[in-house]
Amino acid sequence: MAKYLLSALFAISFSAPAAAYLDPGTGSMILQGIIAGIAVAGLTIKNYWYRIRAFFGKETPTSLLDDDDLPKKPEDS
Amino acid sequence: MEALPSSFRDNSGFVFSHSGCVYRQVNRCYAEHYQNFMSSGLYQKLVEKHWLVSHEELTDGTITGTSDCYKILKPQQIPYISYPYEWSFSQLKDAAILTLRIQHQAMKHGFMLKDASAFNIQFLDARPVFIDTLSFEPYVEGRPWVAYKQFCQHFLAPLALMSYRDAELSKLMISHIDGIPLSLASKLLPLRTRLNYALAAHIHFHSKLQQDHADDAGTGTAARATAVTISAKGLTGVIESLAKVIEKLRWKMPDTEWGDYYQNTNYSSRADDEKHALVESFLQDIPDALNTVQDLGANTGEYSQIAARYCQLVLSQDIDPVAVEMNYRQRKSDGPSNILPLVQNLVSPTPAIGWGNAERSSFMERAHCDALLALALIHHLAISNNVPLDGIAAQFAELTKWLIIEFVPKSDSQVVRLLATREDIFPSYTREGFEQAFCQFFQIERAVPVPESERILYLMRTR
Repeated sequence: MAKYLLSALFAISFSAPAAAYLDPGTGSMILQGIIAGIAVAGLTIKNYWYRIRAFFGKETPTSLLDDDDLPKKPEDS
Repeated sequence: MEALPSSFRDNSGFVFSHSGCVYRQVNRCYAEHYQNFMSSGLYQKLVEKHWLVSHEELTDGTITGTSDCYKILKPQQIPYISYPYEWSFSQLKDAAILTLRIQHQAMKHGFMLKDASAFNIQFLDARPVFIDTLSFEPYVEGRPWVAYKQFCQHFLAPLALMSYRDAELSKLMISHIDGIPLSLASKLLPLRTRLNYALAAHIHFHSKLQQDHADDAGTGTAARATAVTISAKGLTGVIESLAKVIEKLRWKMPDTEWGDYYQNTNYSSRADDEKHALVESFLQDIPDALNTVQDLGANTGEYSQIAARYCQLVLSQDIDPVAVEMNYRQRKSDGPSNILPLVQNLVSPTPAIGWGNAERSSFMERAHCDALLALALIHHLAISNNVPLDGIAAQFAELTKWLIIEFVPKSDSQVVRLLATREDIFPSYTREGFEQAFCQFFQIERAVPVPESERILYLMRTR
């Protein structure tokens, strides 16, 4: 647990600037750091939750980003 | 050789046209990234998944690039370039998810997308595909996603506005070529979106941070911000968060004039069957091989499906975002996949936008086709929008060689409805007036009354 929390805290640190043709925007960079920190903390809690679920034989849900295809059928709205 | 007017933002290379084909020059400054990208397995993976257009490297020296040229690529050709402000909700949503999946996959291979422009996506075989082979740069662990702001402006903001306010708001991308400014999106979105963590963060708080740091250039804050480091796990979390919020966005389709049009026509079932058969026989009568057919006023693409059997690609365009959305969903699930549904308002079609009014071309610049279907359309142009008949004929003649057009007379209940609340100032809107106007530009090959209706279907050829 401590390892995960530590990585959440250090999700934001500092390194050399990147070169790109887009202006990434100061506010946008700072925000990514904040959201990343929250996401890592959330992931830590989720991982524990998934371990509990796995103990009871439930599968870990897959990420939308790992799917091989785009959603086959759009949802009915 | 001259770069296409849309290809100047990224110094890694440019796109140009030569003998009717589109090519891409890779500049020397991008040579190392390109080689690493090609040998990393990422290109192979993305092409296998049909997420990225394939390409071949030209080695025969038939085309020489500029002095800065490292390689010339011939990418898989895209038959029709469409723009995000012409897509329905699900098209833009699928394009957004594809962009995030590519970014996710790229990170797994040690790369990242250096831009996330909606213009980098096109539709091929009823699905989105990424077209910019030079958008990949090495991922250096610790760096934030440089295209995050652009992704929010090009995808998240318009999708949220379409979902929470109105599908027409994607048109804001016409006046904002680099995506909808987050400050504008934040103002337009309803208050309740501030209670949604992801929208509050990626749009509202994002907009506030942008404003708070707008004048930071050259200051210590800006320097620190550009040096922000995010772990790979943290960055994946940001991408996941964007994917989740976009996946959850829904569009509750309103009941529109055309949404249930096919259930509400004044056609008897026999007239309907006859019209289908006539359109099909007219298409068979065209002696030329058809590449592109425009179905204008296509509604949900019923007649586009017939045309799709006789050509390479049908551009199935309609003013109603609901009809286009239904058309896209059907094409995606059941095909045929050579139909591209697009939102297009013919009385004020997509303008050319961007630098020099040339970066993104107008509807008229792109709309040339081999055959054009204009079924149950003429009365909307001539009566609802007062366009003179010879003006309509002239414009169609500019776009196509073959025309399949339906004349809907004043006695037809649909026209009666249009004229019910206004003065009839259209004395020449008759069969004779219609034929006279169109015969200035076209030769009538066939004219057949649709049985059990007042309408006449024509096959015409330009003079």
